[in-house]
Amino acid sequence: MLSIKNLKASIEDGTQILKGINLEVKPGEVHAIMGPNGSGKSTLSKVIMGHPAYKVDDGSVELDGKNLLEMEICDRANSGLFISTQYPTEIPGVNNVEFLKMALNSKRAYLGQPEIGDDEFKKLIDEKMALLEMDERYRDRGVNDGYSGGEKKRNEILQMAILDPKVSFLDETDSGLDIDALRIVANGINHIMSPEKAVILVTHYQRLLDYIKPTYVHVLRHGKIILSGGPELALKLEEQGYDWIEEK
Amino acid sequence: MDAITRIKQLGMPRKNDELWTFFPVAKIPAPEFPDVCACEEDFSKETDFAALLPIAQNARTMVQNIADGSEEMALLKCNNDFGRTVLNVGKGAKASFEILDNKVAHSVSAERFDINVGEGADVEIFFANPANDLPLTFRHFRITQAAGSQVRFSAIERGNGISRVSIDGFLQGPGAHFEIRTLNMLGGTAESHHRLHIYHESPETTSTQLSRNLLDGSSRASYDGSVIVGANCTKANSGQLVNTILLSEDSSVSVKPVLKIYHDDVECTHGNTVGELDAEQMFYLVSRGIPKETAKKMLISSFAKETFYPLSDSPAKKRLLQVLGNG
Repeated sequence: MLSIKNLKASIEDGTQILKGINLEVKPGEVHAIMGPNGSGKSTLSKVIMGHPAYKVDDGSVELDGKNLLEMEICDRANSGLFISTQYPTEIPGVNNVEFLKMALNSKRAYLGQPEIGDDEFKKLIDEKMALLEMDERYRDRGVNDGYSGGEKKRNEILQMAILDPKVSFLDETDSGLDIDALRIVANGINHIMSPEKAVILVTHYQRLLDYIKPTYVHVLRHGKIILSGGPELALKLEEQGYDWIEEK
Repeated sequence: MDAITRIKQLGMPRKNDELWTFFPVAKIPAPEFPDVCACEEDFSKETDFAALLPIAQNARTMVQNIADGSEEMALLKCNNDFGRTVLNVGKGAKASFEILDNKVAHSVSAERFDINVGEGADVEIFFANPANDLPLTFRHFRITQAAGSQVRFSAIERGNGISRVSIDGFLQGPGAHFEIRTLNMLGGTAESHHRLHIYHESPETTSTQLSRNLLDGSSRASYDGSVIVGANCTKANSGQLVNTILLSEDSSVSVKPVLKIYHDDVECTHGNTVGELDAEQMFYLVSRGIPKETAKKMLISSFAKETFYPLSDSPAKKRLLQVLGNG
């Protein structure tokens, strides 16, 4: 499904952040990526999506056999990739619902499908907002404009639910969420998840993984995945931190 | 001194005249004036060529009086190259004036508006004319405000020629508030120049200025905004902000904020930003599958609409957002 091979990327001043990432994600899997601050976790999602601040030095990223790195950013998204960044961008003046409809119709156009009708879209958004227990204020506001940290994260998952991507890369979706919001967002992700899809979660804490059971847990440090394991690895990291890995 | 005598005394605007710093003064054709000035008012203290021009051309004057406590909505349209409108808004009255374009495409047109706002009155003045080819247009506003009055001035300019809006605002009574929100959406060789002098002449007077520019092609915009706070104007408050997005390499903006403050207990701010479309916002939209060109249009539209979102619901807000494609 998603195949990342020897991915190396640097920022404008030439500093290499990703130093050879290898990751294979298959349908139905949930991958958790953990690691100390500054290890390259957030960079990984942005590089895969094609953020202009990063330059790919080497490697490949394929989604269902298509080389994402050769595609326009919007085409990567419309091919089924979704990323949620740690600090979702605010866009005042762009209505949240109109933005969602525009994004969905862009994907449908890419896939050769007709635009969604008003009634069908309303039904879809009503259903997904109910799933995420979102109130009506989200409809009239600008995209993430003036939202709290938790509201932004919930809005990201709403977008994920509407766009229905094959692979979702969620960067610290649990940060800024209170206990109830964490449960709601995690339940939303579980609801959206299916055997045909995959999720990559970046997190610092086990608490999100209590709700969303990972298939694999990876430790990213100094731009490389240095250790992979099952769900028990996250528990060990929570107890012992990261230092023991280097000792090993 | 009548307007003809005064305008001849001033002479044609020059580049070193601080009221015309950024304006392409060489493009103003030298006017011919009638022998006799029909208006007998004294203009000896008027310093702006554009403020005098319609009167010196014996423009027809339209006077509209709004009675105390009444409500009025009106369209103002000048049918000649030169026009003068005098609006007297009574105490506690509420008025909304939309200014329509004079579409007679002569080499130069000039309008002057004298707006006298009574105590506690609430006035909005706006224009959002369709893109036009008028080569050279001047609009001058002289606005006096009594205590507790409010004036909200809003405009969208999208013309293809050269325009200049000049405003002299006098906040004469305590609590008077003046607010201006303007948006220039220019392309080609279009130019828009704004020159403001806002005089705080009484305590607790407030003014806000927001000017936004979306400049493409080799278009130019300028904002020359002065705030003058008098000696007895305790708690006067003024804010000025100019935001510009340059959509092309050849477009340009010039901004000159001037604060003259003759009292300590006041708050006056000014700011100016110039840049391109926000790269993070662009990435966010395209990362949701929206094509780059569409995302660009969405961001331009949001930047434009934001200019007027803070207005309370009114004919001006409805019209301005309608022009920007909001229904």
